[in-house]
Amino acid sequence: MIEKIQKRNGDIVPFDSMKIMNAISRANKAVEGEKMSPTDLLFLTEKVTERLDEKELNSVEHIQDLVEEILIRFGYARTAKAYILYRADHTKIRKSEFDLMEIYKKLTYSDAKDEDIKRENANIDADTAMGTMLKYGSEGSKYFIDNYVLPKDIAAAHMNGDIHIHDMDFYMLTETCCQIDLIRLFKDGFSTGHGYLREPNSIRSYAALACIAIQANQNEMHGGQSIPNFDYAMAMGVAKTYRKEYYKYLKTYLQLKLDMEEEEAIEVINDLKCNLSTPVAMGNKEIMARELRGYGAGKVWGEDLQKAHSYASDAAYKSTDRQTYQAMEALIHNLNTMNSRAGAQVPFSSINYGTDISPEGHMAIRNLLLATEAGLGAGETPIFPVQIFKVKEGVNFNKEDPNYDLFKLAIKTSAQRLFPNFSFIDAPFNIEYYKPGDYNTEVAYMGCRTRVLGNVHDPSKAVTCGRGNLSFTSINLPRLGIEAKGDVDRFFHLLDERIDLVIRQLLHRFKIQCTKRVRNYPFLMGQGIWIDSEDLDIDDSVAEVLKHGTLSVGFIGLAETLKALIGCHHGESREAQNLGLKIIGHMRQRMDEESQKTGLNFTLLATPAEGLSGRFVAIDKKIYGEIPGVTDREYYTNSFHIPVYYPIKAFKKISLEAPYHALTNAGHISYVELDGDTCKNLEAFETIIRYMKEQGIGYGSINHPVDRDPVCGYTGVIGDVCPRCGRREGETVSVEKLRLLRKKFPNVPNY
Amino acid sequence: MSQKVVIKDEMVGENVGFDRIRRITGYLVGTTERFNNAKRAEEKDRVKHGI
Repeated sequence: MIEKIQKRNGDIVPFDSMKIMNAISRANKAVEGEKMSPTDLLFLTEKVTERLDEKELNSVEHIQDLVEEILIRFGYARTAKAYILYRADHTKIRKSEFDLMEIYKKLTYSDAKDEDIKRENANIDADTAMGTMLKYGSEGSKYFIDNYVLPKDIAAAHMNGDIHIHDMDFYMLTETCCQIDLIRLFKDGFSTGHGYLREPNSIRSYAALACIAIQANQNEMHGGQSIPNFDYAMAMGVAKTYRKEYYKYLKTYLQLKLDMEEEEAIEVINDLKCNLSTPVAMGNKEIMARELRGYGAGKVWGEDLQKAHSYASDAAYKSTDRQTYQAMEALIHNLNTMNSRAGAQVPFSSINYGTDISPEGHMAIRNLLLATEAGLGAGETPIFPVQIFKVKEGVNFNKEDPNYDLFKLAIKTSAQRLFPNFSFIDAPFNIEYYKPGDYNTEVAYMGCRTRVLGNVHDPSKAVTCGRGNLSFTSINLPRLGIEAKGDVDRFFHLLDERIDLVIRQLLHRFKIQCTKRVRNYPFLMGQGIWIDSEDLDIDDSVAEVLKHGTLSVGFIGLAETLKALIGCHHGESREAQNLGLKIIGHMRQRMDEESQKTGLNFTLLATPAEGLSGRFVAIDKKIYGEIPGVTDREYYTNSFHIPVYYPIKAFKKISLEAPYHALTNAGHISYVELDGDTCKNLEAFETIIRYMKEQGIGYGSINHPVDRDPVCGYTGVIGDVCPRCGRREGETVSVEKLRLLRKKFPNVPNY
Repeated sequence: MSQKVVIKDEMVGENVGFDRIRRITGYLVGTTERFNNAKRAEEKDRVKHGI
C-alpha cells in the first residue's frame, strides 16, 4: 500500500485515495450521460491505486496521468475530458507559482545538451547569455499568455495538446514574417530605426544593405525574413557598379593610351554622359559601339573612341564580375555570422531568385551560386541564407531558356551544398497569379515553407512583396484519428470542432495584433516594408494593413492519422491517399469559407514542426499508450509527408505528395532523400527536380548527407571513418600527414 | 558551430567530431547536436529514396 506521495512543490505528504475518488466524482458530475454509481467510483479509484508503483515515490502528476488513462480505458471519455480540463485549469495556477521557477532553474543551471527545452530550435544557441535571456523572456511570456490572456478552453486545448499555438511567447507582440521588397526599400535610402542609410551605389553596398534590412526586420517579427526578388534587386547594384567601372576604365584608357591630361579625359566623359542616347550598361556594348561610330567627343574621334569604348566595356565587365562575387561571398558570410535578437541567433534569412534575365541579374546569381559552392572561410557549408531557385518554363527550365545555365548551376550547387531549394512558378496554384516580368506576382517562399499570393482582403493586391503570415496554430490530427476509433464520419465531426476552436483563437490573436500602431514597428511599418504601410503615420493603427497578411491553420501527422483511422498511411494504399486528400481538402475548404465570411486571408499550412514534432506524440503516448504506427515513435510525421522511415521510390513520393501542395496555400515543402552517390549524378538530380515541376509541387528540395571533417577539411559523406585522412571521430592525425594531404587537396587547413 | 581544432604533440583532432549538416523544417542545421530529441529520432529514421 502506498503511504506517501510527492506534491508539485516537492513536499511529501500522506497518500489519501479519497482525493482521487473526489476528483473523479467531480469530473463525472460535470458531464451528462456517463453517470457513475458509488461502486463505479470505488472500482475506478482502486484501478488507479493498483497501478501506483509501491517502490517509488509517486508524484501528483503521475497519479493524474493514471486517472486520465483509466477513465479512457473504461469508456468514460467525457468524464476524462472534463477531468483533463479541470486539471489544466488547476495546473495553470500552480504553474505560475512553481513550474516557471523550475524552468528558470533548468535554463540557468543546465546545458543545452542535457535539456530538450534549450534545444527547441536548433538554430538558437540557448547556452549563451543572450540566448538564455531570450528563453527567460519567452518562458515567462508563455505563462503570462496561458494564465491571463487566453480564453480558458483555448489555453486548455493548447496545454493538453489538442492544438499548438506557435510562437505563443509573442502572442501580445508581433507577426510571423514578411517578404521584403529590397528595390522599394533602397529607393532614396532608408532608416533602420538606429540610423539613416542613403541609397546604395554599388553591388557591394546593395549586398551589405540587404543583410541589414533582413536583420532589422527580424528584430521586429517572430519568424524569418525573406527577399522575394533578390536577383532583380542585386541587378540594380551590379548596373551601378558597371557604370562606375566603365567610366573609370575609359578614363584610364584615354590617359594612358591616348596621352590625355586628366581634365581632357574628364571632358570627354562628360561629353559622352550628356550626349549619348544609349545608357552605359552591360548589355549595351554593341549598340553603344554603333552609336560611337563617327562620333567625336572632345579630342577623340571615331576609331580611337571605339577602341576606348571596347576596352572600357570589357574591363568594366571583368571588374564588376569580380566585385559581384566578393559581394555575394560577403553576403553569405554576413548572414551566417551577424547577430539578431540580442545575439541569440543569426537572422533567419531566405532569398528567392532565378527569373531575372538581365545580364546584371544573371551575373549576381551566377556569382551567388559560385560563392555558395565555395563555402565559408574554411569550406564549411553555409546554413544561411536559405536559397530558393524559382523554376519557370520559358525563363530557366528548358535548354533554350535564357537562364537555363543558372538552373544547371543551381542543381550543381544544391547537389553539393543542399541549397538552393526549388520553387515552381508553373504549379497551377502559383501560375494563376503570374504576370511575366512582374516579380511581385512570382511566388516566393520563406525558408521554412510559408507562402502568400492570393488576397481575399484586396484581390487587386494578390502579390508577394510586403506580405507574410500573421500567426499560425496547428491541429493535432493524429489525436483526432485515435479518438474517432475508425469512424471516419466521427473524425470529420471532431475535425470541424477543432477547426472552429483554432479559427476562434486566430481571431483572438488577430484582435490583439490590430491594437498595435506604426510606432511599434519602426522598420516594418515605419519604413513602408509591409504593404500599404507607407501611407501611415507613426501613431496610426496597423489594423487595416495587417489584413493583407495570412491567418493559418496548420497540421502535422497526416500519416499517423490515417494509420489510426484505417490502418495504413498514404504511402501504403490508394484508399489512404484518397482519404488523406479528403481530409486536407476539407481543411482547405473550411479556410476558404472562413475567408469569404470574414474578408481575412485564412489559409492552410503544412506546418514546419520542429519543437512540435515531439510534443504532441509525447502527450498522446501518455493518454493512449503505444499504438503501432501512430504513437510508437518519438515524433509525428511532418505535415502531409510520407513517413521518413517508409521505403519508397523518389518519384512515387513526389507524385503522392504533390496534390497536397495545391491544397496547402499557406505553405508546403516536399523532400527527397538521396544517398551521396546518386547525388553526385547531376542528371539524376535534375530529373527529380523536373519531375517535381511536372507533378505540380510548389516547393521542394533534395536532402543528402553533407558531412565535414574539420581536421582535414573533407566535405562529403563520412561514415565512421573520414575517407580523406582516415581518422574516426575524436581521433587524431599527425601534422605531417596533413601536410602531405595538403599537396593533393589545397583546402586542407594549415596548422 | 565550428569546433576548435588544436595541435598537441604534433597531432591534430583530439575530441573533434565530424560536422553533420542536415535539413529540418526547410532550414539547414550545422550539427545534429542542437536538434531536439524528436528531430534527432526522426533524422535517425530517415531512409534514402531510390530512383
